[in-house]
Amino acid sequence: MTTVRTKPLPGRNAFVYRPTASPQAAAQWTPRQVAMTNLRTVIGRAYPRVTGMFREKSWVFFEILLPFLATSAFVFVYRALQAPPQYVGFVVLGGAMTAFWLNVIWMMAQQLWWEKSQGNLELYFAAPMNIMAVLFGMAFGGFVMSTTRAAAVLIISSTLYGVSFSIDQWALLIGVFFLTLAALYGLGMMLASLFLMWGREAWHLTQLLVEPVYFVSGLNFPIARLGVLGSVAISILPLAVGLDAMRQLAFAGAAYPIGTPPPAIEAAILVGMVVVFLVLSRWCLAVLERRARREGALSVRWQ
Amino acid sequence: MTADGSPAAAPALDGLGSPRWGGFDPARTRGRGWTDLRRSFAVAVRLGWQMEANWTDPFLFFIYSVAKPLASALILVVMLDVISGGAKPEYRAFVVVGSALWAFVLSGVSGLAWMILDDRERYRMLKYVYVSPSEFLVVMLGRGVARIGVGAMGAAITLAIGVVVLGVPFAPGRIDLPLLVVVMVLGVAAILSIGLLLAAICMQTRQESWSYPEAAAGALFLISGVVFPLTVLPGPIQAIGLATPLTWWVEGVRRSLFPDGVSSIGGPASLFTQVTAVAAPTPAQIMVALLVTGAVATLAAAAVFRASDRRAKDRGLFDQTTGS
Repeated sequence: MTTVRTKPLPGRNAFVYRPTASPQAAAQWTPRQVAMTNLRTVIGRAYPRVTGMFREKSWVFFEILLPFLATSAFVFVYRALQAPPQYVGFVVLGGAMTAFWLNVIWMMAQQLWWEKSQGNLELYFAAPMNIMAVLFGMAFGGFVMSTTRAAAVLIISSTLYGVSFSIDQWALLIGVFFLTLAALYGLGMMLASLFLMWGREAWHLTQLLVEPVYFVSGLNFPIARLGVLGSVAISILPLAVGLDAMRQLAFAGAAYPIGTPPPAIEAAILVGMVVVFLVLSRWCLAVLERRARREGALSVRWQ
Repeated sequence: MTADGSPAAAPALDGLGSPRWGGFDPARTRGRGWTDLRRSFAVAVRLGWQMEANWTDPFLFFIYSVAKPLASALILVVMLDVISGGAKPEYRAFVVVGSALWAFVLSGVSGLAWMILDDRERYRMLKYVYVSPSEFLVVMLGRGVARIGVGAMGAAITLAIGVVVLGVPFAPGRIDLPLLVVVMVLGVAAILSIGLLLAAICMQTRQESWSYPEAAAGALFLISGVVFPLTVLPGPIQAIGLATPLTWWVEGVRRSLFPDGVSSIGGPASLFTQVTAVAAPTPAQIMVALLVTGAVATLAAAAVFRASDRRAKDRGLFDQTTGS
């Protein structure tokens, strides 16, 4: 009996055919194969989010409209109170950042539970890839998606309400922005596993994490006003510390309530948050995976 | 017939069998009018409440229900304090009442629309609910009322915390009770009408309609004088705001609870004052305006709902799951 070896298709050599002595040997992937598979997973999971931006037009409309309406309401509150103009700027910056927070809680934290409800989660766990790569893909796609929304809200609101920024340290501002996003999405990756364990409560918890988090993060006012509560928020919530640092940097020289650390210190806090949240998300995922295998509950929907 | 030829005993008949006298009860096909409607409504309210509340224990449910409106009120109170340093207690009452009432509006407006979406997309039961003998509109309203109940609880607790903790100046003896009762009845009807309108729209739309109620509520929030007086808005936007029943409802509740408080409609540069030459609307004007705008909203909602219902039946939309 002769064995016919088909010629590997171009670009798929690593996966199409590989003569091995046993199935166990076939399961032994080289580090390159593992890395390439995980990279493809990241791209594959980010793809629907990036492409979906252009395919579902109503998303663009609502994801820009909702933060814009909320921002406008708070701008008019400050106008009614005849507040100094920089406060309108604070609200606009906070309104832009809501796009990221909403994305983190609705499309990161709740995602694995949603996938379970749709029946996809067991496929994720069965596929030969690292689930962290799936989470990174979700985060990257969500980041691209939310950045367009946040930029739209920032540009429209700044133009409409006449916000003028005063920036001295561009590099630090950009650095703080990306660190804030890294910490936010790290938190989202961690919450994704926790929400999956909390099951039906996840949806309600997502609702709970909107207005209360806006309040303790000082979304529409300087967080120093909250005293101890603000300090606690700065130490655990990336939105709180990132927003405070960005406000200090984007409105340099504006009258600002003192009481929070300078931007450089807050950038260091953000670095710590990134590390902690990524480590915790990996740990939560491992715990979840172990528990799911033991209890066999991955395919039980709506629970 | 039994084995010895005697007639079989009549089954026990309070369920689905024939009536005891053996004939046909035409009421079963005709329905029993108000009795059926009342029963359907009560069951829908009970079902809606259980769907809202049975996912956790009562204490946690209470925290979840109250946290959102309370946080919204606190954001505004801190904003107010940052600017005025606590020098404007009348504005504190203004924002606390506004944000508490808005929790009520949000739950009412989104309740009916989300009932359609939940049953169609998540539970996939809408078609069965629709073909059941219960009146569909009554079932919808029942489910919406259950959600309003949750919103009302949040609103009441927010108001209570506003008075007890946040120092909102409140004198129970000065409540204008007749005005409060009238505006609450008319206001709830108006909120349900807006919810019905959005539910009718969601019956026609495909995936991702979940944001529609929130978007509509966000737009109404901006033009209804909920947390800032309408006078800061441009004239044409103020005119649109005056045409919505929610503006008059919020003003009516504020006026009944805080007779000397800040008006969201009147004021030196407001459109209302320019047109009527009155500093702020009187209770009678508020009631009439709420009645008129609420009636228009109700009629419009009923017409749109009927048209949407016909079209959905015609095109099989109740049976369609769009995967959102």
